[in-house]
Amino acid sequence: MGNRLIIGVLVIIFGCGTDQEKVRDSSKLNIVATTGMIGDAIANIVQDSAVVTSLMGPGVDPHLYKATQGDLQKLTSADVIFYNGLYLEGKMGEVLEKLGRVKPVIAIAEKVDANRLRKAEEYNDSYDPHIWFDVSLWQEAVQVASGELQKRDPDNAAFYAQNTQGFQAQLDSLHQWVKKEINVIPKSQRVLITAHDAFGYFGHAYDIEVKGLQGISTLSEYGLRDVANLVNYITDRKIKSVFLETSVSKKAINAVVQGCIDKGFEVSIGGNLYSDAMGPQNTPEGAYIGMVESNVRTIVDALK
Amino acid sequence: MEALQIILAGSLVAITCGLLGCYLILRKMAMVGDAISHAVLPGIVIAFLISGSRDSVIMLLGAGLIGIFTTFLIEFFHKRGRLQTDASIGVTFTWLFAIGVILISAYAGKVDLDQDCVLYGEIAYVPIDLWITKSGTILGPRVLYIASGVLVIILVFIVLGYKELFLTTFDPAYAAAIGISTTLWHYLLMGAVSITTVASFESVGAILVVALLIAPPATAYLLTEDLKKMMILSTLLGVLISITGYYLAAAFDGPIAGGMATMAGVFFALAFVFTTTAPRLKRSIKTEKG
Repeated sequence: MGNRLIIGVLVIIFGCGTDQEKVRDSSKLNIVATTGMIGDAIANIVQDSAVVTSLMGPGVDPHLYKATQGDLQKLTSADVIFYNGLYLEGKMGEVLEKLGRVKPVIAIAEKVDANRLRKAEEYNDSYDPHIWFDVSLWQEAVQVASGELQKRDPDNAAFYAQNTQGFQAQLDSLHQWVKKEINVIPKSQRVLITAHDAFGYFGHAYDIEVKGLQGISTLSEYGLRDVANLVNYITDRKIKSVFLETSVSKKAINAVVQGCIDKGFEVSIGGNLYSDAMGPQNTPEGAYIGMVESNVRTIVDALK
Repeated sequence: MEALQIILAGSLVAITCGLLGCYLILRKMAMVGDAISHAVLPGIVIAFLISGSRDSVIMLLGAGLIGIFTTFLIEFFHKRGRLQTDASIGVTFTWLFAIGVILISAYAGKVDLDQDCVLYGEIAYVPIDLWITKSGTILGPRVLYIASGVLVIILVFIVLGYKELFLTTFDPAYAAAIGISTTLWHYLLMGAVSITTVASFESVGAILVVALLIAPPATAYLLTEDLKKMMILSTLLGVLISITGYYLAAAFDGPIAGGMATMAGVFFALAFVFTTTAPRLKRSIKTEKG
């Protein structure tokens, strides 16, 4: 009797981890994305024919994101989950990868052409996850997401394909616009200096040199020599501006600015760049295209 | 369903940590959990540099070995250098953490590698972090297996070594006189603490483990002077913290670990107020068994 009770309880607890409450509108696909950028891409593909939720809000550092009790509900009730992958979401990515064996979970950055990813030289599985800064690479990710959605929701496949085409056209012109804008900056001034190493893809795609004070990990702290080297570099090249990021502390960059002032060179802070998260909702920067435009305008205004 | 799994995971970790925490508090080594949470950094980095992978199992291995090394160093400085345990803990973990930071800057600056990213788990993921066999059978939340396994190991350790642990904690001189090695039992206890903390970091996150290692035993310590009662009380407190903490987090849609750690503090405060404003009650509870 007692044994049977214990076994019963164990079966309940360990047994069915994925039973979902079917209270929501079951005709619509329920899609969950991790970052705002991914959520934006999916929303553009599905328009109003599915429900899209992003877990990470404005100004959130995805490396350090902690899920809430509500996020768990969203993940378990989702029909399809999209995340960036390549360790952008840290440990959460590992959990999502495993969840992929019981429901559709797609790491879009891991599905694009691996030859286009930036790799840390010595290590095999260490790619730079910040792919959305190269608009043309992001287009590839959007295409991956769209393909997956068409497969999961055949009824709406034609609609999704059509929306994707429209969105891709917008991204095409965005890509050309960014190229043109960055070209306005004189070649000698085309250096983007930020706190942490998030703009590698941007630099590669739009021919602007990128210098970060910190490595990719927020724990790899900048050394005194890093600051000194960067100060020398700025004063030698007479770089006008350095940039802050909305999701990273500005202490590091302030140290560089102060160092330049001590050497008698006035470098300004060019403004805030959106790096790992988008701006507040219902502002232009709260959508992917507006965020890229805002970044590019900030960079061009400060450096040209 | 999810609530039950999370509360169960929280309770299992809380019970394991609470039982070991009782000994740590009595030996004035409560901060050893916090120390290990920082000191594992070089272990992670070295494990990555050797293997080139950020897989959980490899990270756990590196962290576990450094965890045991940490407790060994703490005891070594304490015994050989006659340093107080708190100073010894402070020196050891800051030094190891610093080595980790230097190693990252020197060798792995281009890789996102830190405890938060590759080691610390999050209790909210318990229901979706499933153990699935190669053939595709779903065996339920992976963390529940790990947490139950660790709890069983620790229970066996405490039951078998109860007398030895008791004597080496309260009366090391007497223990030595009757032939019980205080050093051996110290290292066994610390080994158990490293295994528990590192496995629990991976399952439910660091803050929660540090809180559960100290708060429930400290609360129980206020209420009783009997070791067995203290262990039973911290077990009950651990379960209570897990349940109330979960619903606190649900009410505010906040992080679950935060909710549980908050409730751990609330229970401690309640016990504190209770024992200081009603000393007579306290005495009666304490003298019940003497």
